[in-house]
Amino acid sequence: MRVRQKVQTIIVELMLILLSLTIIVPLLLMILGSFMNNIEVMQFKIQLPEKWLFENYVTVFKEGGLARAFVNGVVITVISCTVNIVTSSAAAFILARRETKLSSFLYLFFFMGLIAPMSTITTIRVVQWLGFYGSISSVVFIYAALNMAFSIFLYSGFVKSLNKSLDEAAFIEGANALQVFLKIITPLLLPVNATVAIMVFMGVWNDISIPLYFLPDSSNWTMPLSVYNFYGMYSRDWNLIFAVLVLTSLPVIILYVFAQKFIVSGMTAGAMKG
Amino acid sequence: MHKSKSMYPYYLVWPALIIYFIFFAFPALIGFYYSFTDWRLDRDTIQFVGWDNFKAIFSDKVLILALKNTLIFAVVTVIGKNIFGLLLAIGLNMKLKTRNVLRAVYFSPSILSILVISIIFTPILRTEGMINSLLGKLGLESLAQAWLTNPSIVVWTIAAVSIWQSVGFQMAIYLAGLQSISKEYYEAAKIDGASAWRSFTNITLPLLLPAININIMLTLIGGLKVFSEVYVLTGGGPGNASQVVGTIILRAFGEGNWGLGTAVNTLLFISVSVIAVPLIMFMRRKEVAE
Repeated sequence: MRVRQKVQTIIVELMLILLSLTIIVPLLLMILGSFMNNIEVMQFKIQLPEKWLFENYVTVFKEGGLARAFVNGVVITVISCTVNIVTSSAAAFILARRETKLSSFLYLFFFMGLIAPMSTITTIRVVQWLGFYGSISSVVFIYAALNMAFSIFLYSGFVKSLNKSLDEAAFIEGANALQVFLKIITPLLLPVNATVAIMVFMGVWNDISIPLYFLPDSSNWTMPLSVYNFYGMYSRDWNLIFAVLVLTSLPVIILYVFAQKFIVSGMTAGAMKG
Repeated sequence: MHKSKSMYPYYLVWPALIIYFIFFAFPALIGFYYSFTDWRLDRDTIQFVGWDNFKAIFSDKVLILALKNTLIFAVVTVIGKNIFGLLLAIGLNMKLKTRNVLRAVYFSPSILSILVISIIFTPILRTEGMINSLLGKLGLESLAQAWLTNPSIVVWTIAAVSIWQSVGFQMAIYLAGLQSISKEYYEAAKIDGASAWRSFTNITLPLLLPAININIMLTLIGGLKVFSEVYVLTGGGPGNASQVVGTIILRAFGEGNWGLGTAVNTLLFISVSVIAVPLIMFMRRKEVAE
């Protein structure tokens, strides 16, 4: 029995390693290709570059005008994350603590945002009415709103798992809800904040569809749309295209390496609790 | 009781509610109204036209195809992402030496932008691309396909790319579910002489139900809202063979057909709700019953 199990484990392991090549090969094609010259890369083969051309990255940054897109991406991502975290954790705190019909209705109202598709064209209309269509700030609010349902869902799951007696003790000492939220609940929500921050960051940084509709002026674009544009213009230079793709991915890869724990465990824990 | 209510004032809900309402819920609500109008870029007045937009949708072959493609894409990806995700999770829950590395490898595509993934796959999926040349080397030329330019398989190809990207994410959720199942159940089943298959169907599957629920919901809703992978891989082509609801809305928007575009969005909204809401309720009830 023991031996059979061991053999089984080894077979499974070998199969999984072999299968993982289907993931590794396309990613390696991009990474290695980004260092090749534009003739070598066209073979689309997994091989080490004859000469490692690090200058591809410099070329891309200079010619692609990507510095601006990078900054836009950072600004939009960081601000929409912050707005989302501050507002949705406060809202979830109240909605999870109050057990009234109104609060469960409001929770459901937010929850619908997980299901309903965004109504893009009418959102443009609303943003035009408000007079800031095409601006970076409009996109910040849209991203904050789009991720609200998910964040409130995650936060209220965690708030419910925190004992209410924590709040009550503070209330007896004369604290108000805001103080309880800031001094007692927020510190306990830190791991959830990390999870929400990472999920929203990745979603916003990687998104192509909102800029497509809401940012007609290319100087406001974030990385993905600029990269897509670059891809159209440099369709002969696949080494440069690959370099751009790696550059775009670097921030999320770095984030993943340092915050892996929060992404997987936080996300799944939140998902399971809901 | 009255006192405890006032302890949690609603003013902390307002900021979230206002942002969510203005930039998400309100546009969705007025979308229902605009679906019944002739709202266009080149016209100053907006008139109520009844069901005209919906009649136009259901008499347009391209729009019907887009609805059909969206449904195919959603079904194929839900099945693919969940079956492969579950199998990977079961494999990677075993005591393997390379377990942690493999988990990270399989998860990695799901952190990347779908734009990046789609562009990487363009040269791989070309007729003279990597997949077909690999098939040639294996002596399987007959399986080679024009993956992105054959109208009858292009939607399946895009679905496969989408499965490739997100299967690791489903795997991670299944893994968390598997790890939460106590080993004692399996030991007890073993003592009772249950086969591996029986303990899978009688222990693993029922206890994994919350993870299955959340994964099916996420993949289904994501699948019906598909846009970016189609936009980058084919732009809806060849011809209109791979149009989906998401790309049709963009096209209607670009052509200034805003009333029609909004009507398509309303249809999507209704389809997602009709499929997802009963599913959520059904799954919740089942979960409680278990």
